[in-house]
Amino acid sequence: MIERTPLLNFATYAVMIIGAFIVFVPLWLVFVGATLTVREINTPELHFFAGSHLFENLQAAWARGHLGGRLLNSLIMSLGVATGKVVMSSLTAFGLVYFRFPGRMLAFWLIFITLMLPLEVRIVPTYAVAANALWPFQSILDASGLTYLIQMLSGVQVGLEWNLLNSYTGLVLPLIATATGTFLYRQFFLTVPDELLEAARMDGAGPFRFLAEFLMPLSRTNMAALFTIMFLYAWNQYLWPLLATPDRAGFGTTAVVELKLLAPTVSTNGGGTPDWNVAMAGCLIVMLPPLLLVAFMQRYFVRGLIATEK
Amino acid sequence: MEKRATFSMGWLGLAFILPQILLVFTFFYWPTGAAMYWAFTLERPWGGGNEWVGFDNFRQVFADRAYWGSIIRSLIFAASTATLSIVFGLLLAVACDRGLKGYQAFRTIFVWPYAVVAPAAALAFRFIFAPEAGIFASLVKAYPEFWNPAQNGYHAMAMIIICYSWKYAAYCFIFFLAALQAIPRSVIEASALDGAGVLSRVFDIQLPLITPTFFFMLVISITDSFQDSFGIVDVMTDGGPGKATELLVYKIYFDGFRGLDYSGAAAQSIVLMLIMMVLTFFQFRYIERRVHYS
Amino acid sequence: MKLKLLATVAALLLAATASASSAERVKFEMWHGLTGDLGGVVDQVCKRFNDSQADYEIICTSQGSYDNALQNAIAAYRAKKNPTIVQIFDAGTLDLLLSEAYVPARKLMADNGYKINWEDYIPAISNYYANSKGELNSFPFNSSTAMMYWNKDAFAKIGKTEAPKTWEETFDSLKALKAAGYECPMAWNYDTWPIMEQFSAINNIPVATKGNGYQGLDAELAVNKGKFVDMIKTLKKGYDDGLVKIKVPETGATIVQAFANADCQVMLSSIADHGTVTKTQKPDMKWDVAMLPTLAGVERHNSLVGGASLWALQGKTDAEYKGAAAFFNFIAQPESALFWSTNTGYIPVTKSGFEFMKGQGFYDKAPYKGRELAIASLNASAVNENTRGIRLGGFVQIRKEMRDALTDIFANKVSVDDGINSAVERSNVVLRKFEKTYAGKMLP
Repeated sequence: MIERTPLLNFATYAVMIIGAFIVFVPLWLVFVGATLTVREINTPELHFFAGSHLFENLQAAWARGHLGGRLLNSLIMSLGVATGKVVMSSLTAFGLVYFRFPGRMLAFWLIFITLMLPLEVRIVPTYAVAANALWPFQSILDASGLTYLIQMLSGVQVGLEWNLLNSYTGLVLPLIATATGTFLYRQFFLTVPDELLEAARMDGAGPFRFLAEFLMPLSRTNMAALFTIMFLYAWNQYLWPLLATPDRAGFGTTAVVELKLLAPTVSTNGGGTPDWNVAMAGCLIVMLPPLLLVAFMQRYFVRGLIATEK
Repeated sequence: MEKRATFSMGWLGLAFILPQILLVFTFFYWPTGAAMYWAFTLERPWGGGNEWVGFDNFRQVFADRAYWGSIIRSLIFAASTATLSIVFGLLLAVACDRGLKGYQAFRTIFVWPYAVVAPAAALAFRFIFAPEAGIFASLVKAYPEFWNPAQNGYHAMAMIIICYSWKYAAYCFIFFLAALQAIPRSVIEASALDGAGVLSRVFDIQLPLITPTFFFMLVISITDSFQDSFGIVDVMTDGGPGKATELLVYKIYFDGFRGLDYSGAAAQSIVLMLIMMVLTFFQFRYIERRVHYS
Repeated sequence: MKLKLLATVAALLLAATASASSAERVKFEMWHGLTGDLGGVVDQVCKRFNDSQADYEIICTSQGSYDNALQNAIAAYRAKKNPTIVQIFDAGTLDLLLSEAYVPARKLMADNGYKINWEDYIPAISNYYANSKGELNSFPFNSSTAMMYWNKDAFAKIGKTEAPKTWEETFDSLKALKAAGYECPMAWNYDTWPIMEQFSAINNIPVATKGNGYQGLDAELAVNKGKFVDMIKTLKKGYDDGLVKIKVPETGATIVQAFANADCQVMLSSIADHGTVTKTQKPDMKWDVAMLPTLAGVERHNSLVGGASLWALQGKTDAEYKGAAAFFNFIAQPESALFWSTNTGYIPVTKSGFEFMKGQGFYDKAPYKGRELAIASLNASAVNENTRGIRLGGFVQIRKEMRDALTDIFANKVSVDDGINSAVERSNVVLRKFEKTYAGKMLP
């Protein structure tokens, strides 16, 4: 589209540059922090200019935090969460929007309510579930008397156990149990005109083909946005991975958890050396993969050329 | 959700939603149920017995003056951060969507705040806003009361709102951009051919078309502001000065996690959930009707 | 060829099984809350234990903070997946004490055949963690106490070569420092540990009724009547006169940073920060620690221990408890105390450990000179009802209520009396709820 709008272009650039500046300043401070010595970072002043100790701080952070393996764990977990979320949310939203069945609204609200209670608040019982993911079902079997019944009939004592601790499954599943993606897709699917479905039907398409060949291509940018956001969300999780990975030597833990462990102990009865410079260096390392992913995902944020007429 | 065209095999729909329902049951409702039980008893952290007290915990929660303050503060926080994040996210998304030369770099940069882990962002902002060492340092030397987040509750609140909105605007930006870019080129071109200028296209075509996303962002921003605020409050202000930045989730976390008052925290959580449900209900009832879906 | 291959395989297998059986160590876990370089030293302590014997292997895992260590241990305990040992900080003591979740230290060592000289522990430290009969429930691990840090250069300028011994002397010095041109004579951060808890113990004042909570769950806070209120009033006046400056992270510097940069000349902080100040101080700055001042005319009593102790949790196998006992025995040795105090700012917890370190010349020169005053502070008197410790439920919340009140007082939102009274009122609500939660439970 060729238009001459120099004033508006100037305004647009101004907005973007100011925005970039506001984004950049805090990130710059983290970078500068990672280049200072212990003494320097503890002098109470705003350090604007980078020091010269970046490399040694990075090395210290990498070694102390075992960051190599941890980054891999984070990567697998975040990819798992992002993919799982994208896939599951689209299927669920599809079911909720395009089918009629009793209890449909109830199902939507049941899923939606998961947004209203943060994980921190229910973390102790969630851990108990992760330690044995089949515990709820075992309890139901026990309470309804089915366990007793099965034992009577076949002599088999039903004892369901599935320990999710120290595993990628345990890291990923509790984090994809929320409603963000489903809500997003629901909004999007509601904007798709009915004519599309009519056209697909006339084409002989059933629900699966409709989903795969018509809806998914249309939701490409939304998918990319959701994937990016869920990856970043999972990457930056701290409380749950800390609890779900007690076996540090074996399975290890995620990068952000290690980052927290790098940070100096802060306590009024005394702490260790406040080497925030090393913690900041660790921060830079841990921040890098998400930043790279964001840069990579940009290619999907392109206006669709193929489009149905809206 | 009134789609006229649907598939008739209801059971298939059930099959589609089953995985998430199962997951949500196992990892949300079951643990939450246990926590809810604690709200009606006096639970000992290490276990070993509890005593049923009915609604006593709730009574105590509402009798606490500080709790009402917490609710008001959380509502203010929610409204301010939602407004700031949505306005700035949308502004940047519209700017990027124009596709001017070099916009790809900006597009990448604007998502970065969400990639920064909350404590690191909070730490950076604490440096920036420190009255004795930050950007206001010289002003503070002259007028000490100009910026005093260590003692002035309003300043402290402003600080956490700005830090949170900085991160969250990136979240809004990415979804708004995705929505804007999902508008097919043909629609824009048609209206341009019709003689509509850039600004009128933005206000008459693009913004109305993304109202579903806008509604999504509104609901999610407000809900998330209740939930994600913990990390930032913890690093920047510890709920201080006094209780000036003690938001609901921070209070729940502090009382339950740190203070080991499981029953009190559980009761507060139920109240939090009810507040959020009411807020969401209002949004769906009164705002969704203005959303153009097709 | 085939025979050779078989022989090699057989030899390898033999070697593998041989090393496997010698590596049949009993593994057990310890969860702690230290991070950063402190976490690194804990890892070294664990490695030293593992290297010192071949029967057990301890696996030490940091949980990121004291709160997280406590909370994660609780979650794990409830799911029956808890570690054998967990590090619990001072305020977390009472909930654990009133539960069935731990194995008392004395019982653990006795059951596993270790003879520990329980009298060897410094009384102020052992009493904090002991039951009513004086028997230790947990092992003191990283202990500290509060000290006054003072800048020798600044005090020299006002003609003093020794730290002030009473609060009255202290405020006189602060006035002189201000007159001499120092903008920040004393840095303060609302922390209740030195100003309420330690202050009360040193001046033989109760913090709560019922022997600071040791004698019953029906204790109430007692600090809103008497000398603590006066102390806060003095501090507030000092603040209004510009003698005391607030230094909290929100202002841009902690009190340790402010002191280490010679911006402020006096601070009240843990002895464990001694190493931090050494590492981050302004070059050539001369400073030292001193015992916290007393009130004029009051006989000095012992200060309180801070930090955390190690608890053994229920639900593990006998072999794991044997390993835990071996570990506790290991860290009680004088050499371990020397290692721990050399690499961290914490102090030795046994008299023999302290004597051993003195014998090695540990306290003779920088950077460790001055830390012996912490021990002196803990040993300043025999332990009594007001000085053996504080055992109150919901103590984390009580500390927060007091801190919030102090913040409001110094922001001139409320008067000293009203602020403290309100904090005590709210704290008593917490205490009553705690009492109700553990109704019928006797304090061990």
